[in-house]
Amino acid sequence: MTALLNILAIGLLLGGIYALVSLGLNLIFGVIRIVNFAQGEFVMLGMYGALSASLAMGMDPYLSPVVVMPAMFILGCIVYRFILRPLQGEPMMQIFATFGLLMVIENGILGLTGGIGQNVSSFISSVSVRIGPIQIGLPRILVLVLASVATAALWWCLRYTLRGKAIRAVAQDRKAARLMGIDVEQIFMLSFGLGAAFAGLAGCLLAPLYTLSPQIGMNFIMPAFAVVVLGGLGSVPGAFVGGIIVGLTEALSGFYLDPALKHAVLFMVFIIVLVLRPAGLFGVSGAEEVGLREQS
Amino acid sequence: MTAASGRAFDGAAPSRSLSNYGVVGFRVELLRLIVAMAILGLIVAFYLGDTFTLNILATTFLFAGLATAWNIIGGLGGQFSLGHSVFFAIGAYVTAGFYMRLGVSPWFALAPAAVLAAIVSALVSFPVFRLRGPFFAIATMALTEVVLSLALYFESVTGGARGISVPFRRGFANMIFTDRLSYALLMMGFLAITLLVLAYIARSRLGYELRAIRDNDRTAEAAGINVVRTKLIGMAISAALMAIGGGLYMMYVRVADPPTLLSLFDIGVKVALITLIGGIGTIYGPLLGALLVVPLESMLRATLGGVFPGSNLVVLGIILILTALYLRKGIAGAAEGIYTRIRKGRRT
Repeated sequence: MTALLNILAIGLLLGGIYALVSLGLNLIFGVIRIVNFAQGEFVMLGMYGALSASLAMGMDPYLSPVVVMPAMFILGCIVYRFILRPLQGEPMMQIFATFGLLMVIENGILGLTGGIGQNVSSFISSVSVRIGPIQIGLPRILVLVLASVATAALWWCLRYTLRGKAIRAVAQDRKAARLMGIDVEQIFMLSFGLGAAFAGLAGCLLAPLYTLSPQIGMNFIMPAFAVVVLGGLGSVPGAFVGGIIVGLTEALSGFYLDPALKHAVLFMVFIIVLVLRPAGLFGVSGAEEVGLREQS
Repeated sequence: MTAASGRAFDGAAPSRSLSNYGVVGFRVELLRLIVAMAILGLIVAFYLGDTFTLNILATTFLFAGLATAWNIIGGLGGQFSLGHSVFFAIGAYVTAGFYMRLGVSPWFALAPAAVLAAIVSALVSFPVFRLRGPFFAIATMALTEVVLSLALYFESVTGGARGISVPFRRGFANMIFTDRLSYALLMMGFLAITLLVLAYIARSRLGYELRAIRDNDRTAEAAGINVVRTKLIGMAISAALMAIGGGLYMMYVRVADPPTLLSLFDIGVKVALITLIGGIGTIYGPLLGALLVVPLESMLRATLGGVFPGSNLVVLGIILILTALYLRKGIAGAAEGIYTRIRKGRRT
């Protein structure tokens, strides 16, 4: 029983990490329908941002989003404006462009750091909490809590603010949105910037949990795509639930089958869902097609 | 783009636009192929004693061949698979397995490797072909991850994380040579075969059907093309050639582990990006792309690798972004555009 509880706790916490990482990708993939392979590298940049803030100013990684998120927002806007906007309506070219971006960012950081693994520590790094029979590190719980808070905040913004409504309108039908007087281009840039900023947030919060390396982004990108597709494109609560499902799947299959097979199971489930229900578990059926059609 | 293809269906009727494949007959294409091979042969002859360069050339020809194989389904069929490393790995493992366990010469082991890859590709692609565009690309990427996990798990076949190494027993029958020249020529032969297959398919009914699906799958279906079957055949041929390349690679490097064979960047995505840079959907584009990308990467790694690790991939990434932005049809497309403009005066 304790073993199962432990596994569930591990899966839930892992799910929190995936949900957090997928938050930004969900905006980018769900709203603009850009398959951004560089999203994992944005998370990695966020981690190195937290590291730089900690080295330069002695800032705690949990405070660094204050600096990192705006920086990532600007980076996202620049990337969208100069690389992805000219490629609108050419999804495959966008894929290759984001792949190019991935290679440039990952190897640029590799060149700058020389590929030495680094750690960022926070004052709460070593604190752990006891819940019932299980012992959990505080940083991991914090990730789950903050992922939930960020999800709720994003959901609220999309639901009730004017900008958020505009983003949803564009996600649903960009042509109709344009006819309603929404500046679609601006919404795209905003969404991409926000997506990058959320990746930066994820990077800051995850920095104390991982040993930083330039290649770390690749660990996040495929699970993040799985989460977004499972949860349903553009559905904020869907991505959160998708993250938890992916985390639990990984933990359970790792425990009951073999740790070496957990990714095989995870991605097999992903492919099956993708094939059977491309709109995702929480998405509107057929919604995945919108945006892939050539829209003016 | 290929709206006029129907007119040149038998490959004999001359088409006005050079961007169509029906422009020249197969015999002319054969001549071009021989000329291309002769040029490559001259390059090899020029570097006869230079082991370092011959190694680069062998890798270049191998990747040119792999990219050409990818181009069948990726370029003609418009199905952007990022999971071709799966078939590459199948080729490598089957060839090595047959050779090391059963003592079958790698030359013959390439056949079961190609057949198995074709079967696997058809089985896997059947469900995945329901997906279109980016979703197909993501699914094939996920497939690579699944196979990588499985390859690491089934150690008896793949040697697990340590990988397998083929013992060095030189001889023509073992496809193991001491001189690099033999490998360069071997890879050139592979490239010639893939080019021949692509050139043939591009002129066949299959090629036109694949292009029709690429341009608009619904219209193609309405026109009576069996979309799934056509895509499956294209994929199977592409996968079989990819597996042959994998087998050759295995005998060339003689040591391979799952992360190398199934690496997204070194195989699966690289063949796609070489094709993109060279010219997607064209016959000689992948060759041009490989001639640019592979030597450039090797050169950068050799000169800058110590000072700035990863610089080769930074440069490759920048080239990729610039190609996507400014050179959609790659080098071959740009060259063709210039050629057309010269020939036809002001018409673009």
